[in-house]
Amino acid sequence: MDKSEIYERLNNVFRDVFDDDEIVVNENTTSSDIEDWDSLEHINLIVAVEQEFGMKFNMGEVTKMKNVGEMVDIIISRINK
Amino acid sequence: MSLTSLTFLEFCILALIIYFIVPKKIRWIVLLASSVTFLFWNNLSVYTVIQAIIVLLSAYIFGILIDKYHDTRKSKVFCVLGILIIIAQLIYLKYTNLFLVTANHIFNLFNININFGMVTRNSLLGISYYSLIMISYLIDVYRGTCKPQKNILKCALFMSYFPILTSGPFVRYENMEKDLYEGHKLKYDSLCKGLVRILWGVFKILVISQRCGYFVDTVYGDLGTYNGCFTIVAVILYTIQLYTNFSGSIDIIMGISEIIGINLPENFKAPFFSKTITEFWRNWHITLGSWLRDYIFYPLQKSNFIQKLNKKCKNIFGKKFGKKIPLYLSMFIMWTLIGIWHGGAYTFIIASGILQFIYIVLEDLLGPASEKINKKIGINTEAFSYKLYQALRTFLLFSFAMIFFRATSIGNGIQIIKSIFVYNPWVLTDNTTLFTAGLDLYDFRVLIISIIVLFIVDGLSRSGSVREKLFKQNIVFRWTIIYMLIFAILIFGCYGVGYDPAAFIYRQF
Repeated sequence: MDKSEIYERLNNVFRDVFDDDEIVVNENTTSSDIEDWDSLEHINLIVAVEQEFGMKFNMGEVTKMKNVGEMVDIIISRINK
Repeated sequence: MSLTSLTFLEFCILALIIYFIVPKKIRWIVLLASSVTFLFWNNLSVYTVIQAIIVLLSAYIFGILIDKYHDTRKSKVFCVLGILIIIAQLIYLKYTNLFLVTANHIFNLFNININFGMVTRNSLLGISYYSLIMISYLIDVYRGTCKPQKNILKCALFMSYFPILTSGPFVRYENMEKDLYEGHKLKYDSLCKGLVRILWGVFKILVISQRCGYFVDTVYGDLGTYNGCFTIVAVILYTIQLYTNFSGSIDIIMGISEIIGINLPENFKAPFFSKTITEFWRNWHITLGSWLRDYIFYPLQKSNFIQKLNKKCKNIFGKKFGKKIPLYLSMFIMWTLIGIWHGGAYTFIIASGILQFIYIVLEDLLGPASEKINKKIGINTEAFSYKLYQALRTFLLFSFAMIFFRATSIGNGIQIIKSIFVYNPWVLTDNTTLFTAGLDLYDFRVLIISIIVLFIVDGLSRSGSVREKLFKQNIVFRWTIIYMLIFAILIFGCYGVGYDPAAFIYRQF
C-alpha cells in the first residue's frame, strides 16, 4: 500500500469520525487544524484508524503522535511487518 | 517549608551557590542532596525514610525489570506490580480516612453500630506529586517512550527534585532526563528571567493571595455575622486566592528551575480568560490534566470494555449520541480521580471532581443548542462583550464549585451556599460594613489594583511570554517595572504571623 492510498483511506476515516466531508488530511495536519479533534475525540479517531488498517497503535504512540505524518509512518511500519 | 518563607529563600540561595561552584559532573548530586534535605525537612524519621525508599525502590527495580523483559508478558506484570505498590502506599498514607468515613456512612445507612475513628498518618511532603510522577515513569518505560534510569541515586533525584515537591508541575522522565543530570552553567539571562518570575510569584502570593485569605477566613469563620454580599465577595476572593497561591508557587518553582537550567512544563495559561469550563481545565493545572489524559483517560477509552460499550450504544442511540455515553463514563471516572487526588475528603471530590464533570457534560450537551439560539436571535459571539460574559460565567461556575473545596464538610459547603441568600446589599454600598471583615478600605484598594495588574499580565501572556516582552524593552522601562514589582512586594506584601494592619510597614508612611 503506498502513501497516497493510505492518505485516501485516512481521509475517509477522518470524515467519518468528525462528521465533515470536507476534511482532507496531509502529513502536516494536526489536531489544531480540525475543529473537533480534541483529547476526547482522539481515541475514537485512533480506534477508527486501527479498524481501517487492521493494526494497533501502542499507548506510547497514541500520546506522542504530533501530526498525521507521524500517524502514517506508524501505519506503514505496522502493515509492512 | 513555605515557598515564600525566609528559610526557603536561604535554602535556595545556599543550594544554588553550591550547585554552581562544584564541578559540573557532580552538580546533580548537589541537587539530590538539596532535594533529600527538603523532602525530610522537619519530618525525618525511620517511618518517613521507609516511605520514600518504598516508592524509590519500586520505581527503580521495576523500571529496570520492565525494560529487561520489554514486549513480553512479564513486562506488563512488573509494571502493574510497581504501580500497585506505589498506589497502595499512597492510599494507606493519604486516603485511609476517606475509606473509614465511607465505611461509617455505609454502616450508618444500614443501622449497624460500628463507627471507625479517624487516623493520622505522617506522610512525606509531596507524596501526591512524587507518587504520580513515579507511576508515569514506570508506564513510560513500559510503553517504551523512555529507558529506565540505571543509577539509583539519579532515579532518586528524579523522584525528589525539590522545587516541584510542594505544588508540581507533574514532569515526565523523558523531558527531565537531560536537564536534571547535566551540570548547567549559570547564565546571566536565565538568572535575571528566573528572578523576575520568582518575584512575580511572590507578588501573587504575598500581595494578592494572602490578602484575599484574610477576608475569606473571616467570612467563612463566622457565617452568622458575615453573610449575603460578604459571602459572595468571599466566594470570588477565594477563587482568586487559590489561583494566585497555586500559580504563584508554580512561578517560584519555574523561576528557580530556570536559574538552574531545568525546563519545566507550564501549569497555567491564563485560566480565567477561558470561555468554557472545558477550556478552563486546559489552562488550569495543565500537567495534572495531561497526566490523567495519558495514563487514565486514553487507556480507559481504548479499553475493550469501553470500545464494546461504544459499539452497543451507537447501535441503540445512533452514532452521534451513542458515543457520548462511554465517553461520559470514562470522564466520570477521570473526574472522580481528579477530585480524590486533590484530597482525601468528599468535599474535594465534589469541588474538583463531580461538579467539574457535570459542568463539562452540560457544556457538551447544551453547547450546540445554545449556538443555534445565538444564531437565531443574532448574537455576535465574536464580540468582546460576549467573550467577557463567557469568561465571567466560567469564573463564577468554577468559584461556585470551589465553595466545597474550601468547606470543612459537605454540610459546611451547603451552609455557605445558604448564607449567600441573605439580603444585605448595603454591605457593598454603605462604605463601611464591607471593611469590617479582615480587610479595610486601604487593603481593598491594594487588592483591586493588584488583581487588575494580574489580569493584565495574564491577558498579555496569551500572546506569548510576558517576561520575553519585558526583556525586549529598553533598560529604563525594564528596570522600572522590576523595581516596581520589588517595592510592591515589600510595601504591600502580607507577611502573616499575627497580621496587624496597623503595625504594617506601609501604614507608617
